[in-house]
Amino acid sequence: MAQKSAEKTVDEKLVVGIDLGTSRSAIAAINGKKKWVESYVGWPKDFIARKVVGEPILFGEEAVEHRLSLDLYRPLKNGVIKEGTARDEEAVKELINHLISLVRAKKDDKKVRAVVGVPAESFKVNKVALKKAVAEYADSLLVVSEPFAVAYGVNALDNAMVIDIGAGTVDFCIMHGTVPSDDDQRTVLTAGDYIDQQLYNFLEERYPNADFNLNMVRQFKEEYSYIGDPDGSIKVKIPVDGKPTIHNITEEMRRACESILPAIVESTLELIAKFDPEYQDIIRKNIILAGGGSQIEGIADYLKKVLSEYGPSKVTIVKDPLFSGAEGALALAQDMPEDYWTDL
Amino acid sequence: MTTRNPAESIRMKNTILRGVYDDNLGIASEKHEPQSSRRQTRRRLFTLLVSLVLLAGGVSLTGMFTVPGSKESTQKISAAIRQQTEHVQPLPTVEVQVPVPVPVLPYSQQTSYILRPHEIPQAVELNQQQLLDYSLILNNDQVRLSSIFGLDVQTIVIDPGHGGRDPGAIGVLGTQEKDIVLDIAKRLKEKLQASGRYHVVLTRETDTTMSLSERVKFANSGRTDLFISLHVNALPQKRFNVTETYYYGPPSDHATLKLAERENSGSGILTKDFENMIKKIGNTFKEQESANLASAIQHSLFTNVKKYDKDIADAGIKIAPFVVLLGVDAPAVLVEISCITKKAEELKLNMPAYREEITSFLSQGTIRYLERRNLHVLKGDENGPKVSRKNS
Repeated sequence: MAQKSAEKTVDEKLVVGIDLGTSRSAIAAINGKKKWVESYVGWPKDFIARKVVGEPILFGEEAVEHRLSLDLYRPLKNGVIKEGTARDEEAVKELINHLISLVRAKKDDKKVRAVVGVPAESFKVNKVALKKAVAEYADSLLVVSEPFAVAYGVNALDNAMVIDIGAGTVDFCIMHGTVPSDDDQRTVLTAGDYIDQQLYNFLEERYPNADFNLNMVRQFKEEYSYIGDPDGSIKVKIPVDGKPTIHNITEEMRRACESILPAIVESTLELIAKFDPEYQDIIRKNIILAGGGSQIEGIADYLKKVLSEYGPSKVTIVKDPLFSGAEGALALAQDMPEDYWTDL
Repeated sequence: MTTRNPAESIRMKNTILRGVYDDNLGIASEKHEPQSSRRQTRRRLFTLLVSLVLLAGGVSLTGMFTVPGSKESTQKISAAIRQQTEHVQPLPTVEVQVPVPVPVLPYSQQTSYILRPHEIPQAVELNQQQLLDYSLILNNDQVRLSSIFGLDVQTIVIDPGHGGRDPGAIGVLGTQEKDIVLDIAKRLKEKLQASGRYHVVLTRETDTTMSLSERVKFANSGRTDLFISLHVNALPQKRFNVTETYYYGPPSDHATLKLAERENSGSGILTKDFENMIKKIGNTFKEQESANLASAIQHSLFTNVKKYDKDIADAGIKIAPFVVLLGVDAPAVLVEISCITKKAEELKLNMPAYREEITSFLSQGTIRYLERRNLHVLKGDENGPKVSRKNS
């Protein structure tokens, strides 16, 4: 019976994997479409703003662009839905709706079946809230922790460790052939946003006359982030009294990027040390970096170097950090037996 | 990962998929809590009492106050209530007029939950129509006193039990209740305060002796809006672990019920009963809110702690005449987090991470209660699975 219903229903469902991130959210669908947006949701402040922006609700970059006319929300700041704010829950809901609409073909009313990966911390704290937020737009869904989704996607199911360096959080997850328990996971709150803030502070200190904002700093980071020895000097244009001026930010960039390393190294070592001693060596050779932070130049080499003091190590970076979570979630959704879905 | 044969890796994948499913089933099932009939009767009893008291309050106060713009506020309130009723269940569409002339002050300007009339109220006859209107609103579970009066929560007092010379319960490994609850109380304070909306105070910040009456005095001296007392249980049966939450409620006395019956038959209300009823509105408010808070906390705590100890029992929400609960004017609950007499539990309570988890369950429950209260809407699953009375 299960077999039959499986054959019948697969065609009727839109199966998607969603990666709900602090900074960016991505979706991968069974129809091959992949999309991402910045995790911003904005509602026009008043009817004039509504007229100016021309939409009742805006998402992603568009929302950031019109931020002066909008009540702007980044609903998963610090990796969790902020407690007690109905608007943030609504923002999550709208974001999911938006993501699904991006991959859905027009006039398509297929039932949606989703696996949603969320930051490990929010998985622990308010998965019920998340589930409620998603339930309105998906007909059946599963919520999993985001590093676990990544691990599933790259088939690192046994004796492996995923370090997902996001904007709000760095999530750690050890895989040992089962669904990771809370003990196998850890979250550190110094991540991408923290680098931005540090870089902002350093630059402000060194160039008090330069005129920049956090958004610009974030763009610098996304282009030039590195750890260790620089390839050359990093020069960016920042206005001084309205005049674009070249500034050298090489040293500040390095210090900012390296500011997140101590916590990452400490958590990695701790999690490995807690693991069955027989398998610690294998795990050390099976470390996977994911998330936007994995794109910081030199970070994999640095981790490998530190871990090598404890034994041979190997650190790899996922191929497509933007979609690795969503694709893992999609793989999970596809593998999930039909019987399981029907109960959810 | 590399050395496994295909059959084995398929088996592993299946284990994982099964695990994900189990995890999520746990989340889903939280929604479908069966409603117990006992709870229903209990709630009906509440409603009856509330309706009576409000009925009396409304009528008596009409005679006393002439509030400028009261008509406007009346309409506003009635509109709000109408909106609420529309949401929930199809009620007969009767124009709801609520002549509640109580000036809806922010709580900060009020001195007490108890509405004190300035003069002895006059007897007022209620006509049949008014009575019908009242009963329509008040017999609706969705209406809460807190929402009608627009009461807001600002100050939360957390009371870590025992302390100083009084260690409270002691586990076999020597863990003392006073230390555990103090630590959790501090964490809870931080958590609740982080929202920036509540002022949180502890009855004791350190390991000091404090009598129950001192705690009550402390809570009543400031402007306490909520009172949460934290305890850890001790049971003679060392293998049992249980979570329970108490609030104080008066036993449902026969006389009150009789009175309610008589009044609801449609006649007027006797003047001499007014004063008692108006005083009772304070108690009813406290009981109503205490019960809601208790159930929210119990629900959050139990469903989450169960993941750590699948054998833990849900003793539910209980009514018991504890001194702290009785004495504190504000809505008050007493949480027995778990049993320190179970060794495994004692070990866990010693870990900061576990205490942090417990704290987040407590704060989730509290915040959920506060949120719902702010929404002015009572959800159907507000009350926990069961309410039992304990006579001690």
